[in-house]
Amino acid sequence: MNIISVGVNHKTAPIEIRERLSLSEVQAKEFLTNLIDDGIAQEAMVVSTCNRTELYVVPGMPEVDGNYMKEFLISYKDAQGEVRPEHFFNRFYCNTARHLFEVSSAVDSLILGEGQILGQVKNAYRIAVEVQSAGILLTRLCHTAFSVAKRVKTKTKIMEGAVSVSYAAVELAQKIFSNLSIKKILLIGAGETGELAAKHMFQKNARNIVITNRTLSKAEALAEELGTNQVLPYESYKDHLHEFDIIITAVSSKEYVLTEPELQQSMQKRRLKPVIILDLGLPRNVDPEIGNLKNMFLKDIDALKHIIDKNLEMRKCELPKVKKIIDEELVGFAQWINTLKVRPTIVDLQSKFLEIKEKELERFRYKVSDAELKRMERLTDRILKKILHHPIKMLKAPVDTADTIPSRVNLVRNIFDLEEQNRLSK
Amino acid sequence: MDNGLLLNDAVLIGLNFTVSLLYIIATGLYGADFFNGNSFAKTYKQPALIVTIVAHIAYIGFLTAPEGYRLSYSISMLMSMVALTLTVIYMFIEFSTKTDKTGFFILSFATGAEILSSLMLFTSSGEGPAFSGLGIGIHLLAAIFGFSAIAIAGLYSFLYLLLFRQIKNNKFGFLFENLPNLEVLEQLIKHAVAFGFLFLSITLLAGVIGSIQTDEIINLFDSRLIALVVIWLFYGASLFIKKLFGWDTIHMAYLLIALFVLTTTLIMLMSIFSPTFHNIDF
Repeated sequence: MNIISVGVNHKTAPIEIRERLSLSEVQAKEFLTNLIDDGIAQEAMVVSTCNRTELYVVPGMPEVDGNYMKEFLISYKDAQGEVRPEHFFNRFYCNTARHLFEVSSAVDSLILGEGQILGQVKNAYRIAVEVQSAGILLTRLCHTAFSVAKRVKTKTKIMEGAVSVSYAAVELAQKIFSNLSIKKILLIGAGETGELAAKHMFQKNARNIVITNRTLSKAEALAEELGTNQVLPYESYKDHLHEFDIIITAVSSKEYVLTEPELQQSMQKRRLKPVIILDLGLPRNVDPEIGNLKNMFLKDIDALKHIIDKNLEMRKCELPKVKKIIDEELVGFAQWINTLKVRPTIVDLQSKFLEIKEKELERFRYKVSDAELKRMERLTDRILKKILHHPIKMLKAPVDTADTIPSRVNLVRNIFDLEEQNRLSK
Repeated sequence: MDNGLLLNDAVLIGLNFTVSLLYIIATGLYGADFFNGNSFAKTYKQPALIVTIVAHIAYIGFLTAPEGYRLSYSISMLMSMVALTLTVIYMFIEFSTKTDKTGFFILSFATGAEILSSLMLFTSSGEGPAFSGLGIGIHLLAAIFGFSAIAIAGLYSFLYLLLFRQIKNNKFGFLFENLPNLEVLEQLIKHAVAFGFLFLSITLLAGVIGSIQTDEIINLFDSRLIALVVIWLFYGASLFIKKLFGWDTIHMAYLLIALFVLTTTLIMLMSIFSPTFHNIDF
């Protein structure tokens, strides 16, 4: 039983190709149904995100291989001429499993350790279950992948630390203030960047967020969305600067929105209590001279980029640990696949002994009482269980190479004459 | 040769070695958690700290039992007491602030002190006077606790300044990653100062009571007494200086580091020039 994976991702194809092959949930369901109904695949799953469209397939026909699946997807998306086979990656058997483990644990992601991919893989599995294209192999593969991702998340630091500017701003604020819920925060600018920073602050329990914006209605809308309902008119927010412990600026302005004299005055009013100003604007919104004021921490995008770079570097350092976890889980998965190969022999073995038991008991059916027959049945069951225990254990035992499996299977089949058993049962 | 004495010495050496080893283990666990985020160290560092403290108290008890559990004025004993009090105060701070990321720095000092004490146990004369009277006993113990609190406050102040500079200069390295945030460090400093002030106050009070009990005339020009009062005043002032004079934590940190250096220097100078206890002959 083989399992193959083909697809395009951020490592193999540019964004226009990835966009061209992207599948919506409806398309994914239809695609999977086609694969199963046409007998192309016994099992199939599609992981489609903005950075990847990947197929995981247990072939249903001998001619189905990686190239077949590439052509099938290109043809389904009607992308002949635009997408070429070179844009795809192609993996088999254990490498397919390794790839899905890497994808799920976010080490194959564009941003190392990003937190969304596991949910996307889980969603892909849910779709496969819904259209009944996930069988025993894919189910096991996906559950192992989820377990890998969980271990990676808890045992390594691959997902720790901010890797976006807005989140880095929050991380920095937390390195100065211990409890954001009691800090007063001013957000100047209710655009996309400001909104993201405010939401990250909110996630870290900041509740006292006051928003100011040139267009007041936009500030009010964001304040309502956050549930803080605190806005300041853009014309008068400078009168209140001394009240804030954290100031986030994210406006589009050619001139500084905060200048040194304004902040100097504000610092005097707040008796030099520390303030952090996070300048997320481009061009910068805050006069850099402000950074020289006492107890003033002014951080612009470049400074926050230092945090992001450091965190990404730290995540890279965790890669060997992740690889070790993946290798361990891969060994377990490969061993489980091997047990699939011995399953028919185990079934034959059990059937043969069951048949012998029934034949022998039949001879006594009318010679002993029902109660005695039941006791004899229980006794033979116990004996059979003990006799079969070791051969089954031996068959299921982990092997170093897949080549060992046929020799074990042949040994058991010859000893117990299971080929004869097969012929008889047929 | 007296067999009982030999046995006592063997037990003493064993306990001495065990306590030093426990300090090294506890510091190692705190270090492994701080530097590597080791989960085993994270789980067992606090139990190791408690075991170390208990073992150390037992060791001090065994050491002072022949003198009726009175501390002697030997350098080895004082170093050992400094190690113990540093650890005890750190434990209280860790429990009260729920911050366990600075243990390595404090316990490194404590371990150093304990190892030095162990080395000096048999090399130094160790025949310093053992004090009689509860007042003097408390006075000495509180003084050691006070010094340890001063040391801890100084160390936390140093860490505060270090982290403050790193954030200011956009150096988001290992310490930025692992040290508690500035506000927590400020809390730790406040706790250490509060402990210090409390123990220094007890030192003064117990000293006066002890002197009254022993009918000793308090020498107002005793250099140790003057030094203690000066440090006590500075510490008391530092508790309110922020509110009264609007000092920021940076200046407070500099003051506390200076106080630690001053205290240590005074103790060393007085140990050199005035090796007896308040010039009292025991």
